[in-house]
Amino acid sequence: MAMLPLTTESDAKRQVSPELAASYKRDLGIGEPLGFLRPWEKLWRGERLGTSAQGITGDELARKLSGSVGVGMMALPLALAWALGFALVRTQWRKGRWAALGDIVPALAFGTPVFIPALLFAPAVVERGHMLPELTAALVTSIWPGIFLGTLVGDALETELSRDYVRTALGKGLAPGTVLRRHVLPNVLPALLDAVGPVATTLLAGSFAAERVLGLPYFGQLYVLAVLNKQVAVVVVATTTFASLLVIVSLGVEVLRHVVDPRSREARA
Amino acid sequence: MSAVPSRARWGLVLLVGLGVLSLVAGRLFPEQLASACPLGVDPMRPDRTVCELAFGGLWVSLAVGLCAGGLGTLIGLLVAAVARLLGGAWEQTILRGVDAVFALPDVLVVMVLQLAGQSLADAGHSGGLGPFGLMVASLALVGWAGPARIFRNRLATLEGQEFVAAARALGGGGTHILRVHLWPALRPFALAVFLSRLPTAILTESTVSFFGIARMEPMSLGRYLGTSYAALIYEGGSRVVLPAWALLVLLVLGASLASQALSASPRKVT
Repeated sequence: MAMLPLTTESDAKRQVSPELAASYKRDLGIGEPLGFLRPWEKLWRGERLGTSAQGITGDELARKLSGSVGVGMMALPLALAWALGFALVRTQWRKGRWAALGDIVPALAFGTPVFIPALLFAPAVVERGHMLPELTAALVTSIWPGIFLGTLVGDALETELSRDYVRTALGKGLAPGTVLRRHVLPNVLPALLDAVGPVATTLLAGSFAAERVLGLPYFGQLYVLAVLNKQVAVVVVATTTFASLLVIVSLGVEVLRHVVDPRSREARA
Repeated sequence: MSAVPSRARWGLVLLVGLGVLSLVAGRLFPEQLASACPLGVDPMRPDRTVCELAFGGLWVSLAVGLCAGGLGTLIGLLVAAVARLLGGAWEQTILRGVDAVFALPDVLVVMVLQLAGQSLADAGHSGGLGPFGLMVASLALVGWAGPARIFRNRLATLEGQEFVAAARALGGGGTHILRVHLWPALRPFALAVFLSRLPTAILTESTVSFFGIARMEPMSLGRYLGTSYAALIYEGGSRVVLPAWALLVLLVLGASLASQALSASPRKVT
């Protein structure tokens, strides 16, 4: 693959000066035992992270993170709505001539990175307030995870609907809606919970691109700018914070599964 | 070819067609493409037409996807094979490590790896990796965990079959069974897993490049979209962005169709 060679000038610009290298080493505790905790110590003392005024304090970090989590929280119900809608429509498509759409729509959703619908909406919403950019970010972030969930729910729904207990319940005169609500959905729920962890990760990571395009000053924007500006201390703290958030989400999903799925309680007993 | 399901055939035809199109249009005859492009020039790069940038980007994105997907699948296959050969507590430990890597969000980790790789390159310790190699390595380092889990589960299923029990009873060792009996049965599935990694690698690369983090030249589809998005926002230039989007969707559609059909098709194990 052809590469453009770096010119001497741009190469020189990219060289890190000895002072800056020493500053990075000091800030990140490189070469010291438990040195990776150094940025966290600075945050704890209320100091600004990084080697320039573009760094961030703990309070600012928490505020930006809460903004991104807020966008993710708005995106989750939207994703569930997409999922339910797509699962029901896909079940109908399976029976008719539109069966191929059941494959094409997920590919279309998956093949569309979050930044593309964000770009398409951006001219209309960037300058407007009243939470419209946040809602738009949540909407564009939720499309692919919603369709993905819908595919899983649709498959689980079809499997459950073809089981004997459904036929028995219908044969005994129960209304189809009651069978769906009382018997089928509780059995579909674990499949949904299995996917919530990865979907939450996708929603939070997807909001990075949406925030960048729509100009939202939250965690995603902070992260991308920190990487672009090589603010290593900020990247270290932001990455560990984000990973901790994902662990908390996974634990939350496990607790929820324990509460709603009797089979998981039996498996542990 | 008759053993390949028709949906998989459509997907493979679409993928190969896009590859050939990008090679012919974007690399072999760029002058003809530039003169015949109905979409005009890119406002951000007036020296290039939209068609040149889109098809050139498709070629680069496809190359990144194929290399990163192939490398990630190979690493996943090796990890799964080693885990199954070791068995017991070692296998469980390896699987927990695989789960930990799998839980990481691709885009973030690739961004961090790009930052680290570029810093090393700037300090003169890149080990010969250019921006393309760095991106492929980053994507492969992130993308091996999914295939490793899938291959491990498939190997465990195959090992439960009678022909493996018979081979064991006849004194076949672990590596012999893996090489002679399991690998032929796993090969078509490995192709399906590779095809499922292809769109993920392409989309992750697109997102990271869109942010302006990767320095790849010639530009991939993601980098092209990242440098041209001002045109869409401020000049209503959907003509600039929509072709690249359509190419991305077609790539993913081809890979998804082929991967799903190949992994779902029942195959006789002999």
